[in-house]
Amino acid sequence: MDNTIIKVKELTKTYRVPVRAEGLGASLKSLLKPTYSEVTAVQSISFEIAQGEMVGLIGPNGAGKTTTLKMLAGLLHPTSGQVSVAGYEPWQRQPEYLKRISMVMGNKSQMLWDIPPLDSFRVLGEIYSVPKNEFERNLEELVQLLEMKDLLTKPVRNLSLGERMKCELTASLLHKPSVLFLDEPTLGLDVSMQLRLRRFLADYNRSSGTTVILTSHYMADVMALCPRVILIHHGKLLHDGELGSLARRMMPFKILRITLGQESIPENGVPQLPDSVEVLEAESNLLNLRVPRGDASAITAKLLETLNVVDLIIEDPSIEAVIDQVYSEGAQ
Amino acid sequence: MKPFRLIGSFMRASFQEEAAYRTNFLISLFTSLLNLVTAVLGILVLYGQIDSLHGWTLASTLALLGVFLVVSAVRGLFISPSFDSLSGMDGEIWSGAFDFTVLRPVNTQFFASFRKWRLFALFDLLLGIGVLTAGVIQLGVTLSIWKILFFLAMLVVGMTILYAILLIFAALIFWSPGVLFTWVFDGLFQMARYPTNIYPGWLRMVLTWIVPVGVITTFPARALTDSITPVELIVSLLLAVVLLAAASILFRVGLRKYASASS
Repeated sequence: MDNTIIKVKELTKTYRVPVRAEGLGASLKSLLKPTYSEVTAVQSISFEIAQGEMVGLIGPNGAGKTTTLKMLAGLLHPTSGQVSVAGYEPWQRQPEYLKRISMVMGNKSQMLWDIPPLDSFRVLGEIYSVPKNEFERNLEELVQLLEMKDLLTKPVRNLSLGERMKCELTASLLHKPSVLFLDEPTLGLDVSMQLRLRRFLADYNRSSGTTVILTSHYMADVMALCPRVILIHHGKLLHDGELGSLARRMMPFKILRITLGQESIPENGVPQLPDSVEVLEAESNLLNLRVPRGDASAITAKLLETLNVVDLIIEDPSIEAVIDQVYSEGAQ
Repeated sequence: MKPFRLIGSFMRASFQEEAAYRTNFLISLFTSLLNLVTAVLGILVLYGQIDSLHGWTLASTLALLGVFLVVSAVRGLFISPSFDSLSGMDGEIWSGAFDFTVLRPVNTQFFASFRKWRLFALFDLLLGIGVLTAGVIQLGVTLSIWKILFFLAMLVVGMTILYAILLIFAALIFWSPGVLFTWVFDGLFQMARYPTNIYPGWLRMVLTWIVPVGVITTFPARALTDSITPVELIVSLLLAVVLLAAASILFRVGLRKYASASS
């Protein structure tokens, strides 16, 4: 990749956390002589991201996603390894670097609570030294894309969570950053607001060429937005690539959904199926099977031959099921 | 000049925030007046009994109270509101919203020091100037322009020291989210409304050079109503420079330590 904007090499972050046994005595003791243990939040991860890409950073709670994002943004100093974003070392937080990035956090607000968003935006325009006419143009564009003209003059504290997130996005994009970090941007939003924000992010990414790194617990966000995902678990990088290929790697199965003719499933079960096939559901004339990916076509052919099949669907396991498996078992 | 434009923009936004709570304006007005009346009454009662206290007359004590009120007003105008938004349970450091502050392309110490303004404090400032003027008139001497300039310079030195001390407390929040330090200082700072030489020797030393609240108010007041020795001038200047540098370094070290609250 020659238009690489983010380079991460063997990035590691270790936190020193105080260890304290329960009870008052232990509390007093730790006050005098605190003991610490080292917790590795991110362990030697490497990846590169090209300008204009939209990448999903996924993983269970406590996997190290936010830590990674914060190191990329420059909020945290890496314990070891290298990060370069737009040619800068993020943790040095040079003003020229900070003008090229932006961060939106689903659980933290950057708006001034008691005044209308427009006034917060103007302060940000000054902070980022956005020239006046450019500021007006960017604002106009964002307001139109996010359909939020009528929100501009209401105090932020009177806005709904979804309306507030629109404001957060506008606030973070007024200075036209090259890289946008989104930490759980759809947290707590209703389905239709999630959809609208997703559409906005996709449009904005396409039209502006802004590189977007997104963490989310909603797989729908990641599926809709990110052609590429980076899966982090226990601080390690487990997968870097398409979501689909993750599914294929993590779950080498297909699901067969079969509807039979009038007659129901034979009393003695489904005949002549290899051991590798798992019957997920067998009820009246419906039959759901989990079959190894490689055998799917052979087994399908056999079932069509032996049973009176009126409908047959072959599908991949849902991405939620894949993720659940990875999160709960860890990956091999 | 960008810093001034930024400050202007912070002031505008802060004023709009304040205007959202109109009753606060009345309460704040009432508190200021009450504060003034009790302070002035205390001094009048005291000097109803005696003419002079360790060389301080009614006039010079009033001038000192004026300086104290002016310095407090400046503190209330932007230093305290800005630093207060960092600390406490709803403060930025505790909530992690400080992440945004750190990510702004502006010097973090500058941003954290100037971004919140309480324009109601301008009323306190007026009251302070009023008391100061009353003290000077009572004094009955004409002040040369040099004396006034010298007084203003000492006032700036005093306020720099106050700012540096408060910045140290603000920086300590990076190690402990408590606000205890500021409370202790507030207690000591109340002593600055009286001349330092009315206190016993050891306390006077502490208040002048250890926790230099005396330098913040007594020195400017003396520069106006009496005089300051060259040694006192140089030492207080040095103190301001050293404290400001130390506070800035501490703030920077604290910033490096800041690992934002986990989300």
